[in-house]
Amino acid sequence: MRGCRIVSEAISATGSPDEQSTLSPQELGRLVLRTWPYMRPQLRHLVAWIVARYALELVFLVATLIAFDLFNNKILLGEKLQPDQAVLLQLDESYVRAPDTLGVGAEEEAAPLDALFDDTDDVERPLDPAVTMNTEQRRVVRNRLGAVFAIAAILFFLLGPTIDYYRTWILQRVNQYLRVTMMERAEHLSLRYHSHARTGDAIYRIYQDSAMITSVVERAVLEPVVAVGHVVFSFLVIWLFSPILGGVYLAGMLPIIMLVVWFTPRLQIRSRRARTANSALTSRIQEAFAAIRIVKANRAERVMGSRFDGDSRMALDAAFYLRTEFILMRVLVVVIAGAMIIGTQYLMAGWTIAETPTFLAGAVALVGFSVWNLGTFQAANSRNEEFVEAGSELIGMWGVIQDLGVGLDRAFFLLDLKPDIVDADDAVPLPAPIREIRFERVAFGYDPARPVLDEVDLNAEAGTITAIVGGTGSGKSTLMSLLLRLYDPDAGTIRINGVPLVGIRMESLRAGVAIALQQNTLFATTVADNIAYAKADASRQDIESAARVACADAFIREMRQGYDTELGERGGKLSTGQRQRLSIARAIVRDTPILILDEPTASLDAETEHAVLENLSDWGRERIVFLITHRLSTIRNADQIAFLEDGEIRELGDHESLMSIPDGRYRRYVNAEVQIDASELPE
Amino acid sequence: MSDVAAPDTSSTYFDDRLDTHTRVSNLEVAGILWRALKLLSAARGLFLSKIALSFVALIPGLYLSWLAKIVIDQVLLQQPFDQTKVPFPPHVAPFVDAIADLSPMGIMAAVTGLLFVLLILFGREETRASFSQGEDSATQSENAISQGGSGTSGIVGLVETLVQVRISQRLTNRLRTELFRRMGRLPMTVLDNHRIGDAVYRVMYDAPMLPQMCYRATLEPLSALVGAAISLYMIGYSYGDVAPELVWAACAVIPAGLCITVPFSGLTRRVQQQSRAAGSATTNALEESLGNVSAVQSLGGMAREKERIDARSSESFRRYRFVKLVELIVGFAGLGALAVFGFWAYVFITDQVIDGVLTPGDWGVLFGLGLSLGFTALSVGTFWIELQGNAAAVRRVFFFIDQPVEDPGSDSLRLESFAGTVRIEGVDFRYPDGRQALKGIDLELESGQLVAIVGPTGAGKTSLAYLIPGFIRPDAGRVLFDGRDIQEVDVDSLRDQVAYVFQEHMLMSESIRDNLLMVQPDATQAEVMQALATAGALEFVRALPNGIDTVLGRSGDTLSVGQKQRLCIARGLIRNTPILILDEPTAALDPQTENALVQALRDASRGRLVIVIAHRLSAVRRADRIVFLEEGEIRGIGSHEALMADPTSRYRRFVELQGGG
Repeated sequence: MRGCRIVSEAISATGSPDEQSTLSPQELGRLVLRTWPYMRPQLRHLVAWIVARYALELVFLVATLIAFDLFNNKILLGEKLQPDQAVLLQLDESYVRAPDTLGVGAEEEAAPLDALFDDTDDVERPLDPAVTMNTEQRRVVRNRLGAVFAIAAILFFLLGPTIDYYRTWILQRVNQYLRVTMMERAEHLSLRYHSHARTGDAIYRIYQDSAMITSVVERAVLEPVVAVGHVVFSFLVIWLFSPILGGVYLAGMLPIIMLVVWFTPRLQIRSRRARTANSALTSRIQEAFAAIRIVKANRAERVMGSRFDGDSRMALDAAFYLRTEFILMRVLVVVIAGAMIIGTQYLMAGWTIAETPTFLAGAVALVGFSVWNLGTFQAANSRNEEFVEAGSELIGMWGVIQDLGVGLDRAFFLLDLKPDIVDADDAVPLPAPIREIRFERVAFGYDPARPVLDEVDLNAEAGTITAIVGGTGSGKSTLMSLLLRLYDPDAGTIRINGVPLVGIRMESLRAGVAIALQQNTLFATTVADNIAYAKADASRQDIESAARVACADAFIREMRQGYDTELGERGGKLSTGQRQRLSIARAIVRDTPILILDEPTASLDAETEHAVLENLSDWGRERIVFLITHRLSTIRNADQIAFLEDGEIRELGDHESLMSIPDGRYRRYVNAEVQIDASELPE
Repeated sequence: MSDVAAPDTSSTYFDDRLDTHTRVSNLEVAGILWRALKLLSAARGLFLSKIALSFVALIPGLYLSWLAKIVIDQVLLQQPFDQTKVPFPPHVAPFVDAIADLSPMGIMAAVTGLLFVLLILFGREETRASFSQGEDSATQSENAISQGGSGTSGIVGLVETLVQVRISQRLTNRLRTELFRRMGRLPMTVLDNHRIGDAVYRVMYDAPMLPQMCYRATLEPLSALVGAAISLYMIGYSYGDVAPELVWAACAVIPAGLCITVPFSGLTRRVQQQSRAAGSATTNALEESLGNVSAVQSLGGMAREKERIDARSSESFRRYRFVKLVELIVGFAGLGALAVFGFWAYVFITDQVIDGVLTPGDWGVLFGLGLSLGFTALSVGTFWIELQGNAAAVRRVFFFIDQPVEDPGSDSLRLESFAGTVRIEGVDFRYPDGRQALKGIDLELESGQLVAIVGPTGAGKTSLAYLIPGFIRPDAGRVLFDGRDIQEVDVDSLRDQVAYVFQEHMLMSESIRDNLLMVQPDATQAEVMQALATAGALEFVRALPNGIDTVLGRSGDTLSVGQKQRLCIARGLIRNTPILILDEPTAALDPQTENALVQALRDASRGRLVIVIAHRLSAVRRADRIVFLEEGEIRGIGSHEALMADPTSRYRRFVELQGGG
């Protein structure tokens, strides 16, 4: 299965935990705790939101409990009110049941029922005025309760959306903070990480995995707390109605918990697979579009399409299996819980018919549930349902938390990667003015088993141009990456004015080095923005003069909007030579003491190259300039030439002295080029 | 409608280059919807099963309210069946007849039994196959791709949900594969203008909105309306005589819901579109920044990139909050209307109960049916509104599918055999921004030659080479393959004749072998090795720990530029096409490697046409013909010697300058 292989590659490449790994509850807990620093800045808002939500919730709970009795027993059946209820509805004593009849047994209770069903034509018949209200009174109670409902509804319409919107706002701020932190980390990770990881993977982690933090607050902290509150509260009320009911629910929880324990690791594994597969798919798309020209030119649309289709199917299947597990768990829980509700309804129906007193009849008499009757049945049943609902919701949340934990784990993975290049505690700024740069026995390999550089010694002084020459793959660009501290050497040190590179603050080091890269990376902004990329405060004048040094001014002015022309993705609208000159201008505009030009003129024609180099040597006085190049015409301008082969500097000196070594490597190299060029030269 | 707000500023807010006219009318939404529905044929069988299942899922609604009424009136209040004024609907009547003579507890036992059966089949709540999601449009798409759900749980709910997840996935996959395929066929000039992050966003986050759109347009209103019809029928049948007002009110609920919510549709669509465009801009920033991380680090741009993504991401969040706000307003407007209706029903029904016309059990039935009707009204009312968000996303997908692609049409010629003669006649070409790149180019190239296109930077060398595989089309003049105008030739068959090696070295993060096989899936091991050898890559590939199976890092970063260049050349060679074009193949090579490569290319030019773009003479010297280009015009054609022989030629001056370095 080629698709499988791709995913496993993506994993091995990024070193994330393997597909099978699961998170123990402790690890889940730790993940949740780790979100704290991102919550901390929003703490005030979070607390305010929780308080508001809980307050609304509580008011709602108490109101429904009171309303159940009022509505079912008082309005529908016509019983008289409890004293507290009358106070609440602002009604006089005639609505209130006489104190001596409070909590009496079945005889009186039966009266309204008979009244209701004996002879419906005769409902106006006066009932026992001690326990029942007349129709007029019932309407009054109905209207008062209606008014309370209306007030509650208005409150709900005002507060509900506000609280909801507030929630979105807070959670977005939390996510934004994490996203930006991750992005910052990704930007600072050494290139060693990036050269092994796929870009799409990082995008997916920053975008999708990090979003899980917003759910953590809700799904792992707040909602469970609310749900647990519901469970406990309902359970207590159920217990007050009847300990038998409580016992039934306690016993029913056992199989449910067993189910959950069985499903938990399965959900985690499925979730990790789904996320990994989606990550691979993001990478596939990102790469395919980055290389879209190659795909087009080589008619590889079909091959790329089928690879995409394969990745896409894998991602979808993974999502499908995750959902199957999740739904299966929920359905099983729902059936067990439903069986409990239906079973207890049967029990309660029996008690209602027998008008059995409730457990703790006296204690609940205040709200009117002393005996099993219609209102009690409805109230208890709705508590049962709430208990089951909250419980099953908790279980659903548990399932979701598994997915969320896996997502967070992936997000934190990126954050946990230590940038292998960090500032020492006592790091100093880049020394100024710079006198010399010294490489001392520097060794380095991207893969430690395959050294690229070995024992490199090199010394460059201010005001000189050092050319680094050598075959392809001899380590020229790598040597310069070390100077920028994109990587740290495996052995040896690099010193600037005698200060080791590791002791210099990275920001100030990189601020002191300008580089024109071999791969001319341009961003999809304007020409001027591209030149000023690394120096945001550059004035238009600085930008233009840098462009002139790089011989780019002329062609930029020819473009329709000159310096304000928008470039396409990766600078697609320009020829390579033009891109190269923009890249050089971008290095120059920074006006740094150290300048590195990596194959600066490879794509330039001779005439332009001359002009650029001449401008550069004027501009380069008092700076240290490194040139990486193959071209003799460029090399000859250098003050010293370091000839690199197999990761070692084999020869070092100026052109004349190196050419004077009989059978020298540089001499052979030059001769090879001259041999090629010889016949081109006019006699 | 409400489409009279401020002018569309999304193109300046977000970084869309092509897709700048994002406003759509309700009519266009209907068009988008129609196109989306046509895609449903991809999952016809599954979709029909889903419809059938969603009707089956309405069954519990037929019984539950009535069972509750029986429990209240006949069990708890112990009223005999014959006393009620309200007739049971026909489907409940047989059950009622069967239990009519039982004691209250006997009735309760029968009801409990029926409830258990319903529980196993249908469960007790709805099922949703969704996981946590983030707080902006992109992070919610993951759920949308695998959207599934059911109004019930239990066996039916399980099956229905899983069927729907599969439909959603199949639709999404079909759309995004199509999108992916089409984006690959866009003309080069469009691709240059298009951003990678945006493409990722459209494929990953916009396409998943399609299935939801299909459900929202078909299934959801259909089953809601059928459910509503059933509720109305039951209310009419049982309460039509005792309380006709209830029936009238119930009928009015749905139209009322529509009237309240439809005016919000334009607003909803606009905020959704902006939220998605902002999300795209964030993805763009992420992609560009991470994709160029070496440049960002070496130029010290980390702080700047962080700020940029911070700004983009918070804009994306802000836009999503607007979406949320509009949703809340619409939702609560609907709920408010529903509450007014509910309040009236409360007063009316309690009056009837107090007057003894209705029983407490009837309240239960009416409350349940009324509630479900109310929510149906809400969902029908927000039907058009909810479609807007999906329409905004799906429009972004269709926009790219609709871009003119390069295929001239099905009636074009296929280039079956090709002898290898390319003629370029009087070609002019301008860049999209109006600059003249080529003017009056006349050129004839033949198989068996190594042709070099030489000239200063910006002379139009690449544009000239782009004409041959049809990457760009001339504004005037023609390009002929064996005398046939390539304008009339099928693009695929044209590109089968041409391998083009670009100056940028793009490699996939796969094994070296897969990178080569990508362009020629059926190449043999020997052919792969041969191509690597010709390109001078065999030696270093063999030295890698896993040889040809070494997996490359991001964009091949573990190799040096020269090595990547040689792999790209090998990739061009392996297709073994009659025409091979190499754009600056030797720029990053040292003299020895370059020397060997030029010799290899000479060998390769036997029996085919090899075109090399170069400004360096070492690569050019041994070409059979040199085409010297300057300022978009041909200023000399001939062999090196012939061109050098003319003391006034532009070529000679160019060579002298280079040699003089």
